[in-house]
Amino acid sequence: MEVLQFIDAKTVSDVIHEYNSKTKANSVPIIIDNGSYMSKVGWATCEAPLLQFKNLIAKPRRERSKKDTVEISQTPQLQVGNDIVNIEAVRFQLKTQFDRNVVTHFEAQEHLFDYTFTHLGINTENSVPHPIICTEAILNPNSSRQLMSELLFECYDVPSVCYGIDSLFGFHYYEQKLKSHPLKNTLIVNLGYQCCHVIPVIDNETIFENTRRLNTGGFHIITFLHRMLQLKYPAHATSITLSRAEELLIRLCKIAVDYREELNKWANADYYENHVKKIQLPFTAAVANSTVTLEQQKERKKELARRLTEINARKREERLAEDEEKIGQLLDIKEMIELGAEKETVEKTLAEFQIKNITELEKNILHLNTKIEKTKQKILAAANIEEVEEPPTKQTKYSKMAFESEKELHMFLQNIRKLRQEILTKKMIRKQRKQDMAKRRTAAGQERMRIISQLARKEKGNDDFGLRDEDWDIYKAISKDGGDSDSEAENEKLLEFDEILRVHEPSDNGESSNPGETHQLHIGVEMFRAPELLFKPYMLGSQEAGLSEVIAYVLSLFDEENQLKLASNVIVTGGLANLSGLKERLLTDLTSVRPFRSTVHVQIMKEPSLSSWYGARNFAESEEFQKKQITRKMYKEFGAEYFKTHLASNPFYPTPSASGGDIDV
Amino acid sequence: MSTEQTDQKPVFKTVSWHASRQNNKKRTWKGLKQIVSSERALPWPENVVHYSNINAPPSFKPAEKFSDLSGLPAPYTDPQSRLRYANKDEYATIIDLPMDITAGYLALRGATSIVG
Repeated sequence: MEVLQFIDAKTVSDVIHEYNSKTKANSVPIIIDNGSYMSKVGWATCEAPLLQFKNLIAKPRRERSKKDTVEISQTPQLQVGNDIVNIEAVRFQLKTQFDRNVVTHFEAQEHLFDYTFTHLGINTENSVPHPIICTEAILNPNSSRQLMSELLFECYDVPSVCYGIDSLFGFHYYEQKLKSHPLKNTLIVNLGYQCCHVIPVIDNETIFENTRRLNTGGFHIITFLHRMLQLKYPAHATSITLSRAEELLIRLCKIAVDYREELNKWANADYYENHVKKIQLPFTAAVANSTVTLEQQKERKKELARRLTEINARKREERLAEDEEKIGQLLDIKEMIELGAEKETVEKTLAEFQIKNITELEKNILHLNTKIEKTKQKILAAANIEEVEEPPTKQTKYSKMAFESEKELHMFLQNIRKLRQEILTKKMIRKQRKQDMAKRRTAAGQERMRIISQLARKEKGNDDFGLRDEDWDIYKAISKDGGDSDSEAENEKLLEFDEILRVHEPSDNGESSNPGETHQLHIGVEMFRAPELLFKPYMLGSQEAGLSEVIAYVLSLFDEENQLKLASNVIVTGGLANLSGLKERLLTDLTSVRPFRSTVHVQIMKEPSLSSWYGARNFAESEEFQKKQITRKMYKEFGAEYFKTHLASNPFYPTPSASGGDIDV
Repeated sequence: MSTEQTDQKPVFKTVSWHASRQNNKKRTWKGLKQIVSSERALPWPENVVHYSNINAPPSFKPAEKFSDLSGLPAPYTDPQSRLRYANKDEYATIIDLPMDITAGYLALRGATSIVG
């Protein structure tokens, strides 16, 4: 099985594009597909968007301890869009202008527009002299649009603005390409980062009242996958990052055509083994290092022991020489006395050696003799040991066990394993019992309470408790650790068994073969489970209906004729549309809710994440665009929330005045 | 905005906007929830569709139960940790899980409320 690697793609900083004089002179419109995941920006004359960046800013927090005056030079830079090279490093400082799919935080939006216009190379003073086409959420609240217009007109002094809905732009782009079969009636399924939309279009008109929004999207899938893996691998929780979860979603995740069936397949161990995807987390080979030191430690220990024996031997030899010298001297004195030397000189020499009389001299000689004999023997023994064997270590104790046949070894190991398992089960039972005892509602807990209450109930008059020795056993039954706890001896035994098994079956230990294996993520069911969230939002605790259910619901809002028209033309767009298996899944789910043999057709838009930008660009080139812009003059005259509706836009409802129930139109 | 922005101000931004921004340093932006609720409070004409009107309906199908650990269909629930599990092997894992992990699984499923 091949082990995959994380790519961990780093973002590349955008270049500042050249500001073409022709672009400047013709005041070419700027197309901004302002999505909650990414912003795609380019000139209306471009073939493809020039800039694509995540709609994020990383705003470093001010350090509170420092005073304002010192701070100015030290505040770290604000990072915007693709300037954020390592997104995980600034994860907690990230901000986006979006709240769900609606722009609400216009300070962040301003930073992102600064980034956008700077990187387009615009260098005109005090204005951005280009019309803007900007996408917005379906049924974007007026207040959000109002603030957007305010920002664009007041801050950038743009000549005109035009708003549209991303998925509708995308749809019209797609439709224009298929001119031979005009798609007047369509059910658009837009799978976004924050939300999914189901948008019915009948006779080229968007039916807003029957549109539905599912508040689950790519973001939720990514966080779901992220958390799921973190919980599965708590040891690697920090190295499982959101960016990596995102990478997994893009690279591995699939949508199951039949989720139940898929799960049943995965429940089989063989299927799991053959289809699981393993992905390597980065790791440092610390494990390999420690084994080297283990060897070294052994060597070092041996070396030390050798040196110690050497020192001892030398000491013994020295002592031997010393003793021999002394005995020589003593023997000389003895000889002197025997030869009949003068009493005075004898006493003098004896005093030199601190000996009182001749008997003591005799004693000393005898003592020294035995001492020399002993040391000699010791030296001999030490030399022998050095040759024969090194001091036995604990490990060799087990490995030394010799078995006559393979079978015998096998039997022995089996036995050990059995004993080990027995201890483990005992421990587990004890643990379980302890747990049960601690809880009141378990059977064991209730039994305990029953015994206790019975003990307490005994009438005072005829209390014969304790007359028999067995009476005291009751306390064993009600004590919380069930009478006996994990004994020290048992633990020791367990350790010993483990050691034996380790020595005789080192292959059981996977660690030694590949240290990276412990740093691998196994992606099995997860690759289907994460995207399944779109169809089962309840997996994340949401009460909403799943995508298929919402589609069925939207269809049910139409009469039969229109239902047929819509069902026979379902178009999927948005970043998640690229997930494999999505088309088949939607088709099966849709077929199951449609009448028997009615036409059902699902297609995935090509380049689903860029089609909105293309659509908006095409719109900028059409004549229609000229009529649908909101100029600066209109902005001043009709107010900030005013805008013109078109084929791909939201409907315009002027905000009624809050005072009174009067409806002014 | 702090004063350092003055030097950094991109040329294309209008001076008046920039000046006005420097006065009110902190501006709080309404969140989507606030926007939607204030939008709903207004007396709109009858045919108007709002952002809040197009929320997906609640699910009418009963939620299937999946194992918190493996994602497999889960016929059992551990009464102590309230985690769902598919087979005895998973149960053996569950009873040894530390509290923070079990709590994490429950939070992921959105089942942290005591009632549910």
